[in-house]
Amino acid sequence: MRIVLAASALALAPASAFAVDYLSAEQAAKLMFPDADRFESREVTLDAAQMQTLAAQGVPARSARWPVRVAQRAGATLGFVVVDNVVGKFELITYAVGIGTDGAVKQVEILSYRESHGHEIRLPAWRKQFVGKTAGSPLHVGDDIANISGATLSCTHVTDGVKRIVAVVDLARRNGALG
Amino acid sequence: MITSAAYRHWTRRARPLLGTLVEVGVPAGITDGEALVRAAFAAIADVQACLSRFDADSELSRFHALAPGQSMPVGMHAATVLQAAQQLHDASDGLFDVSLGSAPRGWRCDGHRLHKLDAAVRLDLGGIAKGYAVDSAVAALQSAGCDSGWVNAGGDLRVFGEVALPLSLRDEAAGGVRPLATLHDGALATSHFGAGSRSHAHARHAVRAHVSVAAPQCLWADALTKLVAISGDPHHPELDRHGARAWTH
Repeated sequence: MRIVLAASALALAPASAFAVDYLSAEQAAKLMFPDADRFESREVTLDAAQMQTLAAQGVPARSARWPVRVAQRAGATLGFVVVDNVVGKFELITYAVGIGTDGAVKQVEILSYRESHGHEIRLPAWRKQFVGKTAGSPLHVGDDIANISGATLSCTHVTDGVKRIVAVVDLARRNGALG
Repeated sequence: MITSAAYRHWTRRARPLLGTLVEVGVPAGITDGEALVRAAFAAIADVQACLSRFDADSELSRFHALAPGQSMPVGMHAATVLQAAQQLHDASDGLFDVSLGSAPRGWRCDGHRLHKLDAAVRLDLGGIAKGYAVDSAVAALQSAGCDSGWVNAGGDLRVFGEVALPLSLRDEAAGGVRPLATLHDGALATSHFGAGSRSHAHARHAVRAHVSVAAPQCLWADALTKLVAISGDPHHPELDRHGARAWTH
């Protein structure tokens, strides 16, 4: 074991932003459904009544429009992949949820993690730059492998988001919107 | 001389587990890298399934459902963590207490048998099991032939092999990160204690800041941060026993 403390660890150096890109949405979809030969893009649009149904289930839909990748093999549906963002105290997390045809969660992968100064994260423009982006985003940290310690980071927002996506996909399937 | 990141490229994956984000890093371009990563996450999910107090089917939840005087068999995960917790409790005059004051003497783990001695006992392994889960994931990577990499469970992390991992510390008050340390072949746990921190037991802690502990094993790095925080002693004799060093900052 060898540990070298940074000079700034015990002093108050200025804090900087932090970002990691793990996977693109396409890479995550292929990891989750390696047998798929095609991913068809669909958009699930929820009407007011459906939004109310979800809210009554305790998972407010937050958005009326949900892009869904439908994993297919030889025309048969293998499952669904939905990408979403959640905002925590100082972090913005993009994640993908893979759902099987039985409606159960198959896999959850974090696509990117952005740690910001507190003031940035509430700005829509700061958040918007990451939507739909992962690899190659403006804050890409290249080959830096830095890790965060002391991140008392809760994944409650991600867990809640996964539940919301499961409910949205379930509703869309029952309505025939996902074939 | 190991010169950190430039040595080789890495495949990094992250998933929500253990109530936080868990990151696994393995060398990029190796055969079956994705299978290695899956094995590491599976090891963590396995520990979580046994030791979570939120999961009604976990061994911990089944222990809570026992009547006083009853006992149950437990697997390797629970036996390892509970015996370590018992040892640290005894060596710290009760400062380290996974019963969180509910009944420190209300349980006993003999080998793979867990006894309930007091109806009031409630165990919370949040202060030690995350580190153990990291050790388990590292063991899974190593036994699958991975020569270097790291596992980070929301601040409890371990790095092995030929890599010096740069670590940053999150600013809990204003966001952003600051350089903290570079770690090679060992574990580091950092906990933040104070108002607004995730530790609900902070009122008991003598230290109201960050405590970092480096140790060969993540189980001990994790558990000893709590002991240092509660005792207020970064030179507590238990650190030496586990090859650990502590800092408050």
